[in-house]
Amino acid sequence: MSEFGRRAFLKRAGGVGLGGLAAGYGLGAATTDARAAEETPAQRAERVNEAELGDRRRFDGVHQGGILTPAASFATFVALDSIAPGVGELTTALQALSQRARELTEGGAFPAREYDEPPYDSGTLGPDVAPDGLTVTIAFGASLFDGRYGLAARRPAHLSAMRPFPNDRLDPARTGGDVLVQIAAGHQDTVGHALRELLKPVRGSLQPRWTVAGFTGAQRGPSPHSSRRNHFGFRDGTSNPDVTDPKVMDRLVWAARGGGEPAWTADGTYQVVRAIRMHVEFWDRVGLLEQEEMIGRKRDTGAPLGGEGEFENPRYDLDPKGERIPLEAHIRLANPREPQTIDQRILRRAWNYSEGFDADGQLNVGLLFVAFNQDIDRQFVAIQERLNGEPMVDYVTPEGGGYFFAPAAARDQRDWVGSGLFA
Amino acid sequence: VSRRKALKNACVGALLVLAAIGLGAVVAACGGGGEEHVYHPISTVSARPDVKITAVTGGANSPQVEALLAEERTGNPGPGSDLEPLAPSRFRRPVAEYRAYSVRQARGVGGAVRRLRAALAAGDVAAARRAWLDAYDHYLRLGAAYGALGKLDEEIDGDPGRLPGGTRSPEFTGLHRIEMGLWTGEAPAELRAPAAYLAAKVARLQTVVRTIRIGPTTYATRAHEILEDAQRDMLSGVDAPWSGAGLRATYDSLLATEFVVDTLRPLLNGRDSTIEPVETEDARLQEALAQVRREHGGEWPRLAAMTASQHRLVDGRLGAALERLDAIPGALEVARAQPAPTIAEQKRERGR
Repeated sequence: MSEFGRRAFLKRAGGVGLGGLAAGYGLGAATTDARAAEETPAQRAERVNEAELGDRRRFDGVHQGGILTPAASFATFVALDSIAPGVGELTTALQALSQRARELTEGGAFPAREYDEPPYDSGTLGPDVAPDGLTVTIAFGASLFDGRYGLAARRPAHLSAMRPFPNDRLDPARTGGDVLVQIAAGHQDTVGHALRELLKPVRGSLQPRWTVAGFTGAQRGPSPHSSRRNHFGFRDGTSNPDVTDPKVMDRLVWAARGGGEPAWTADGTYQVVRAIRMHVEFWDRVGLLEQEEMIGRKRDTGAPLGGEGEFENPRYDLDPKGERIPLEAHIRLANPREPQTIDQRILRRAWNYSEGFDADGQLNVGLLFVAFNQDIDRQFVAIQERLNGEPMVDYVTPEGGGYFFAPAAARDQRDWVGSGLFA
Repeated sequence: VSRRKALKNACVGALLVLAAIGLGAVVAACGGGGEEHVYHPISTVSARPDVKITAVTGGANSPQVEALLAEERTGNPGPGSDLEPLAPSRFRRPVAEYRAYSVRQARGVGGAVRRLRAALAAGDVAAARRAWLDAYDHYLRLGAAYGALGKLDEEIDGDPGRLPGGTRSPEFTGLHRIEMGLWTGEAPAELRAPAAYLAAKVARLQTVVRTIRIGPTTYATRAHEILEDAQRDMLSGVDAPWSGAGLRATYDSLLATEFVVDTLRPLLNGRDSTIEPVETEDARLQEALAQVRREHGGEWPRLAAMTASQHRLVDGRLGAALERLDAIPGALEVARAQPAPTIAEQKRERGR
């Protein structure tokens, strides 16, 4: 394509793109907003776009995005296995992953290419990529620290492969992986676009092992803080530590300094992912009383049994025999709120997944359980071991996931996630 | 006002639905005038000359219609209980009957395991497979008991998918260890030790079932849970992947369920109309299983040998049976010592 042709195309493409956005986003707004009359279609598109899709999460900084960030409406997890023949190819791929992730979280128009060449971007979000709250969180699995890349001595102190708990039925093809990428955003198309774009530059080094796509329920109140519901109809993630308190996060989420942790793990965190199948047909045939006693909360309000509001303290101290909240109720085992379990708390994130039907015509749906913590054994495993054999195990089957370490964010645009590991 | 409006809407909606799907309506009582719009429960309509029955539904009522029917039946508009809770002592006899049945099934497991060991000793794989299936059948027919067996259930019927290392785990023993060997070409001699282990555990089983205890609520819940397990673990192929015995396992689970329901029949009589729809759907599931078996020359097919339409038939009938069986625990509600306290009540209690 000639230089003239390219420039003409860029101009044309820009015009069409913005016009298209205006047609899409401007409807409704134009009739209700007096300002609309004074705006060009392009300005109007920009404004509506900004309200719906303009949330921008910085990729670079101290901690990676997607950790303290509230769970976005949509999230896809993809575990990748490295086929890179050497550490050089591996680091090149990880750099490319960070670079592309940075561009996508930032958003904006992508450069045009010659007309007869495949475009730089799939175009599924239009020519001007809106950030839409996108976060891309990159983490490493224990298998990356085997002998292949000489990283064994640099393995994070608490990172191991996920061993099955007694109720688990882990499918090896849906468990583990060398690199985990968590892609979260406000809309499914943003997530799908990012997944497609992120895989493009790394195909020769990182190949998918498993993936799960999740979503949260809409915010249905009663307050803006009310927890969303899972497939059992119960609110999920009510009792979370305060992410705005750096002291609490230093104690529960961020990797400890020293104590056997390699220096490169500073400002990183351990990420637990579990794809937990929920047998919802069975669950729907259980009396509400039994459901609530398994969970320990009221289904409607999310309040602890015998309480009024979702965030009310369940006051186990008043109920030592479990007359109000059974001793085996999920919330009671998971977080007994005793002095010795304060350090076991985890930062919970949860998405629902929905993958059609299984071979028997049963809904294949479940919970994408995510926990960030400082020490998997001290926190997640301790909690899970208390939950072994809880009455709810009949209705759930953990089928996949893994343990990963999400390192610090890239410091700036010359840096990349994981650079410290290879320094 | 809004409640009446809701009732009326539900009434109209229900008629539209019933008309649209062409299933029979229960009643044509959504009459005009200033009358209260009510439905009449199926079990009483025949006694009412003012009600014209066009047909009897299969029970596919919407939640709103169900709620109206329940209110009419009980005079109770809210979610409060409409049944007098049963005394726990009423369950003594059903559980005792089930215990006696369990003893017979455990003896059946024992006999099959003896034949299994003899076949393995003789190197006869075909006979060993037959004996294994027989042992598995009898064990599954214990049904309601296995929840009360604790670790013994794991030792006899443990699922290697739940062990670290799976089938390579040293803890992988019991029925499924032998199943894997018999259907993957392992030499019979290799299976003698696992079979001896199984025989020891089954001997213990025969002792333990004589004294198993099952609480009233648990026992009532087993009425649907046995087949829930069949849906989740057996018909899915999770539980017996090598023999593919999921369909016959579903049949075994149905037999166990029917025995439980039989023992509960005296308690269910007169409590809602729980038992009739259960029997209807159980019979239809029974017939679906028999049909598939006939279509495979009178033998239980391996799960993988079933056609898609046979799968759908069994999945559908099993699902429909479960949607009926789930009414049994609620209908057999057991008296609680006291309602659970609230936080406020516990605070007051403590302040005293």
